[in-house]
Amino acid sequence: MFSKGNIVTYVIAFLFILALNFFLPRMMPGDPLMAIYGDEALIAMTPELKAELVERFALDQPLWQQLGAYFVTLFQGELGHSYYYNAPVLPVILGRLPWTLLLVGSSLVLSTILGIVLGIESGWRRGSKTDRSMLAGLMSLNGFPDFFLGMLLLIAFGVTLGIFPLAGALTPYSGLSGLALLLDILRHLFLPVAALTLAHLAGGYLLTRNTMITVLKEPYMLTAKAKGLSQRALKYRHAGRNSMLPVVTQTGIWIGRVVTGALFVELVFAYPGVGYLTYEALLARDYPIIQGVFLMVAVSVLVINFLIDLSYPKLDPRVSYAY
Amino acid sequence: MNKKVLKLLPKLLIPAVIFALLIFPSCPAGTPEISSYTIADSTGDWGYPSPYAHYSRGPGYIRMSFIFETLVWKDASGFIPQLAEEWEYVAEENAYIFKLRDDVTWHDGEKFSAEDVVFTIEYVKNHPNPFVTLIGPSGVREAIAIDGYTVKLYLEQPYAPFLNDVAGTLPIIPKHIWEGVDDPKSLTGLEAVIGTGPYTLADYSKEHGTYLYKAYDDYYLGKPFVDEIKFVKISEEMIPAALKGGSVSAGDIPPEVVSEMEQAGLTVITAPVAWNAKLTINHRKEPMSSKQFRQALAYAIDREALVQITQRGYGIAGSPGMVPPTSDWYNPDTPQYEYDRAKTRGFLEGLGYELEDSYFTKDGEELELELIAEASFKEVGQFIKQQLEEAGIKVDFRTMEAKTVDAKVEAWDFDLSIYGHGSLYEPSILKRVIMGEGFNSTRYTSNEKLSQLLQAQLSEMDAEKRKELVFQIQEIYAEDLPALTLYYPKWYWAHDDNVNLFYTKDGLASGIPIPLNRLSFVK
Repeated sequence: MFSKGNIVTYVIAFLFILALNFFLPRMMPGDPLMAIYGDEALIAMTPELKAELVERFALDQPLWQQLGAYFVTLFQGELGHSYYYNAPVLPVILGRLPWTLLLVGSSLVLSTILGIVLGIESGWRRGSKTDRSMLAGLMSLNGFPDFFLGMLLLIAFGVTLGIFPLAGALTPYSGLSGLALLLDILRHLFLPVAALTLAHLAGGYLLTRNTMITVLKEPYMLTAKAKGLSQRALKYRHAGRNSMLPVVTQTGIWIGRVVTGALFVELVFAYPGVGYLTYEALLARDYPIIQGVFLMVAVSVLVINFLIDLSYPKLDPRVSYAY
Repeated sequence: MNKKVLKLLPKLLIPAVIFALLIFPSCPAGTPEISSYTIADSTGDWGYPSPYAHYSRGPGYIRMSFIFETLVWKDASGFIPQLAEEWEYVAEENAYIFKLRDDVTWHDGEKFSAEDVVFTIEYVKNHPNPFVTLIGPSGVREAIAIDGYTVKLYLEQPYAPFLNDVAGTLPIIPKHIWEGVDDPKSLTGLEAVIGTGPYTLADYSKEHGTYLYKAYDDYYLGKPFVDEIKFVKISEEMIPAALKGGSVSAGDIPPEVVSEMEQAGLTVITAPVAWNAKLTINHRKEPMSSKQFRQALAYAIDREALVQITQRGYGIAGSPGMVPPTSDWYNPDTPQYEYDRAKTRGFLEGLGYELEDSYFTKDGEELELELIAEASFKEVGQFIKQQLEEAGIKVDFRTMEAKTVDAKVEAWDFDLSIYGHGSLYEPSILKRVIMGEGFNSTRYTSNEKLSQLLQAQLSEMDAEKRKELVFQIQEIYAEDLPALTLYYPKWYWAHDDNVNLFYTKDGLASGIPIPLNRLSFVK
């Protein structure tokens, strides 16, 4: 079972991440005062204003005191106060999180399922025309970054054809509710999800196809065939299921990046997600927001790792004996 | 199109036109009621529109200015009364007297009075507002209410741009709400957006970057003719498409699509230039510390060609006096350093440089300068590098992340840099960007005459005399050349013409070059 040493490792990793998280943004050139007020020529940085800001953001304290304060507030369940947004960090991030989860979650599910199905079909027909054209098509799709696909889709279906909206997650102040609101959200979701799905489809597809080809050579496939099973059962229940494992692992790794994985696509579609927030916070040198987002990413990666550690022995009992 | 439809068209159109003619005369001429007006913005969220919670940028101020008003305001041609009906400057006492309107109510129904103005002044002195400085040269020593609707503001020192920078910028807040509020930034409830303006806030969404304003029925100048104003977030590249599609009524557009927008029936307006990109020169370091050297650089850069090539013609070539040629404050006698490579050569040879092969050298060392800029100035930087190299000055041009450039400039760790800033409407900016502290200022204080003039123009209350001082400043600044203004870009907005958007004279409040004046929405 899970040893004490393992837990200690996690705690050390967590504290290390916290410290890194604190120092990294502060090592970037430029300070928040410059970032917040430097570009606006209408604003005179008077000594009074500067003093007020320095005090507000505790920038006058030595670094170790700032670090101490950071830890204390963190363990009180607060992520700090955003300079730029002038609001506590947690609600700012939580306001964006559902949209990112909706966007990245749906594209993750879609690209995984589609990738597996296409991979199975393609691997089953290895060498056929369908297989070769699918392989070529998806490989070339794989070469495009997600934001580029997003732009193409936006220009084609948003600007030229006018089928889909140009920006945002819903029509602001449309007065819609219930089903109409849901449809409005789905309409806004379609293009960014399509861009993300298409861009990430090839990964799952290639993995499944590869494993499928190996699995098809296994003796148990011959046995299944000899039992006279239908082609469907052969393809999906016997070969397909065994080809899914690497894709599931890959999807697990992906989940760790859910929070920031859609940054560029969110920018293209002006989608109000955490990725967009990270981008804005970086430009404004808003340390607390940057720290908050990074902390969330780090924690989700740790949690997923932990879950994988826990689930491995159950999936494959041989793993337990490896220690 | 189908022939049948074509035949039917006149039959359908004629009744429609008659119907329209019957309906329209019943509307008040010129200002039909508009139920909703949507304004696009690529950033979206500019903060909660209270005087303290909005982000310290022009668009944040504008969102606040639909709710909160100032003593005086500006329209397309200059100052107009707002909360104050009339005002005068009493030179002997160095004080302004403002006569206030007596028919103004706050959005919660309370009456507005001189007490609110006096309270606002005191409050802002204790809680600095980034847009208005009430301590120091532009400060108010004392504010007193002479009667219920008259206030007298005693200035710390004579301050020429007082109407523009203070009376026309400081949002007046209700005493009955803000009294006892210690941390104004944290006041973000409905009470924080109770003002006297034509609109009230109906909704604000931080994550979607949207605002919904509703007309204030009891506005003292009459209910605004646009019932609802929406601010929505759309990425920069998509605003033209949204305008054409009709989903938004107004938005800023890149210059390249101006004719496309006009063909689509939209109205395009352009602001008097307000922003300049400068070649910042490290005048504290050899060899840039020599005035002749800096002038040699200026002669080597063809600013007209720079506008044509890097800005595709959408801009005006920079004047070395910084004040743009379109400004009332522009001195036409400012030295211009017309592009002339022979002069560059003459100046550099005068400084002991020799042209060997293609570059100048001195004491066996090649003349090489480092030029740093953020990525958005890439084309401009490359153009300058090419021009200087053609003139014999080798340039190592590197783009960096913006904050890195700022930090290096702040620490004087550079030779040349490109930096841009706005607010060129009111000459009070000159002192801040020439003598001020920080990376966004030239920090040039070694010419005493210039420093004195910069100080003097701020306290010269006579407009004509002040203009004379500003003229002198341009001549000396252009002569000394601690930085060289390269170009002023042109900015455009497109709109559907349902509301008459216009650019405010000298910018909104202290100089925001965005055509969203609340007056456009009031009859």
